[in-house]
Amino acid sequence: MIIDFTTAAYLSIAFWALGSMLGIAAKSSTALRKTATALNLGGSLIMIAFIAIYWHALERPPLRTLGETRLWYAALIPLVGLLVEYRWKISWLKYYCMGLAAFFLTINLLHPEVFDKALMPALQSPWFIPHVVVYLVGYVLLAASSVAGWHNIFLTYRMKDLKSNDALAHYLALLGFVFLTFGLVFGALWAKDAWGNYWSWDPKETWAFIAWLIYLGYLHAVSYKINRLKLQWYLALAFLVLLVSWFGVNYLPTAANSVHTYQQS
Amino acid sequence: MKADRRTLFQKPWEFREAALIAILLNAAGFAIQYSLGGTGITMPEWPMNAITLLLSACLILAVGLSYRHNPFIAWLGGIPLGLSLILTLAALSFIGGMVPQGTAGNPTALRLGLHSIFSSWPFALIVSLFLWNLGLSLSWKLVPFSLKNLQFILFHAGFWIALSCGIFGSSDLQRLVLPVQEGQASNQGYIMKSKQAQEIPFSVFLHDFSIEEYPPQLMLYDPKNDRLIMNSSQAIPEVRAGATAEWKGISVKVTDFIPSGLPGKEGTPVPADPAIGIPFAKVRISGAAGKGELWLSTGGPMLKPGAVDLDGLFLFMVPGSPKSFRSAVTLRDENGLETIANLEVNKPVNFKGWKIYQMGYDEESGKFSTLSLLEVIRDPWLPAVYLGFFMMLGANALFFWNGIKKSGASL
Ligand code: HEM
Repeated sequence: MIIDFTTAAYLSIAFWALGSMLGIAAKSSTALRKTATALNLGGSLIMIAFIAIYWHALERPPLRTLGETRLWYAALIPLVGLLVEYRWKISWLKYYCMGLAAFFLTINLLHPEVFDKALMPALQSPWFIPHVVVYLVGYVLLAASSVAGWHNIFLTYRMKDLKSNDALAHYLALLGFVFLTFGLVFGALWAKDAWGNYWSWDPKETWAFIAWLIYLGYLHAVSYKINRLKLQWYLALAFLVLLVSWFGVNYLPTAANSVHTYQQS
Repeated sequence: MKADRRTLFQKPWEFREAALIAILLNAAGFAIQYSLGGTGITMPEWPMNAITLLLSACLILAVGLSYRHNPFIAWLGGIPLGLSLILTLAALSFIGGMVPQGTAGNPTALRLGLHSIFSSWPFALIVSLFLWNLGLSLSWKLVPFSLKNLQFILFHAGFWIALSCGIFGSSDLQRLVLPVQEGQASNQGYIMKSKQAQEIPFSVFLHDFSIEEYPPQLMLYDPKNDRLIMNSSQAIPEVRAGATAEWKGISVKVTDFIPSGLPGKEGTPVPADPAIGIPFAKVRISGAAGKGELWLSTGGPMLKPGAVDLDGLFLFMVPGSPKSFRSAVTLRDENGLETIANLEVNKPVNFKGWKIYQMGYDEESGKFSTLSLLEVIRDPWLPAVYLGFFMMLGANALFFWNGIKKSGASL
């Protein structure tokens, strides 16, 4: 069932790698920098094209398994990096983003998924796509905010600190939180239709709630004007909690009780 | 945190006092839980829950508005305490996310309420203080009212309403399983946990229960190691005419597929009505264990599934997983008012303040099940909880919009 995922993945990674090397080498040459950006964009476009073909072949959106959602991250994360560069002229973020995307594709290359066409009845809902897409975007933004947090910590210890970098990390976290809230509420509305309960403290729900609370804590810490370095550490580490709610839940002792185990692999 | 050194409880109170209160409250909660032998909190039912909630809301607002300049009250509705409570709530949820929730476990853990953390005393105490904290901060933004505070009000009031109504309303939730047989009516529901029977105020007549399945799948089973053999693409091949499947040294091609058939003369199946037929596939097997062409079926009520022995490995066809299942029903209340409805997963139907869900069926009979399991739920507090949800979403939409403007300017 794999429509040559291997080729698409290697091509994307190659585009990102070439674009990055060219971007670093380009320095002041505008023409070279433009080519680099085109290559970086190209890497994501290949992934998007692959997702489109794959979606068509599956006859359902490829959003069901973690492996499938990784395809979306791989396509979207570099775009966030490029958008940030375009809008705020901060170019380091895109390298981290492409690295992360290449990492996701590598996981998929190493573990060919059990591609299964069946979509169980509970997942056949108009809520499915908005719920998952909103979460995807939220996770992407918060992943980027964590990267920005780490970068800011690093800069601080190198005695450079730039206000605009702090603002970027904050802005990403804030937008990410907005998407997380939408995802959480959409999930609750959907659960009411599918299972009769908008909230049942299912392990996946519980972890999504924990992650949401952690970022809620961040926003309140910001409005109380807490020391900026502490905030950067908070953002940098908060992503670990998000990772648990995203991948980790399947491996916890509570996973067996979850109605969300369809998310395996 | 401020750099100046102050001792604990020296005014103004801040994070250390807030953390201390949160810890003490947890300790008290676990102590109460333990000394009560592990029984958690039971909420009062209608109308006591509504009265309690309304009085608490009025009390919080009154205290907030009368004592807004009192340093203790200001702290009680302030961010340091709020932040501590948010993180404490996260920590208690963390227990709920790590320890399997239920009734089984180590006796001490059970007695401490670790296996039912969300109805435990520490959770209830923290949530109560949380509602105070949130409510006080809200009262100060509500009066005097300013449109500038709309975002804050929607967010905080929305969360306050969703949380409080969700918790206080949980005791009024009725949730019953209702089994119905084709051609029969029932108003006998059961409470899932206690199996206790309870009548509902209307009856459900089941005309027809039907299942639509995904195409069947081919599997290769290794009985010696009791496992399925995966092919190179890790995919489980679906059966349709012309489909091929490949395992190491064995290749299978589906030359004919009858989604619904019955055995005919000389072993050749003939198409039949989906209500009684089962899937048949003609496969050509080639490779080391080549067997030529033969018919496979998934089996059904009158026929055993056929498996092909390929040098100690078994090739067989399993029914596809259910794609959808639905019940055609007539709902009828005491006054004879009738509604015809199609119940399906994800498509509940409203009737007389109840929501009726398609839940399951007799899985052993699979698509031949004549039993439909429905779930009927009455949740009178739902509109209030949804109001809270939508207020939060509204606040988030504002947040999205204003956040962009604000951050854009500071960059
Ligand atoms: C635990 C109780 C809470 C307290 C005491 C509290 C208090 C506050 C206070 C005082 C502010 C600062 C407002 C300002 O500077 O104008 C604030 C901001 C904020 N709170 Fe809360 N809050 C609580 C819970 C929550 C919850 C549960 C949510 C989410 C549903 C939330 C979301 C926010 C947001 C998004 C902001 C920033 C709003 C803005 O800047 O306009 N808070 N909170």
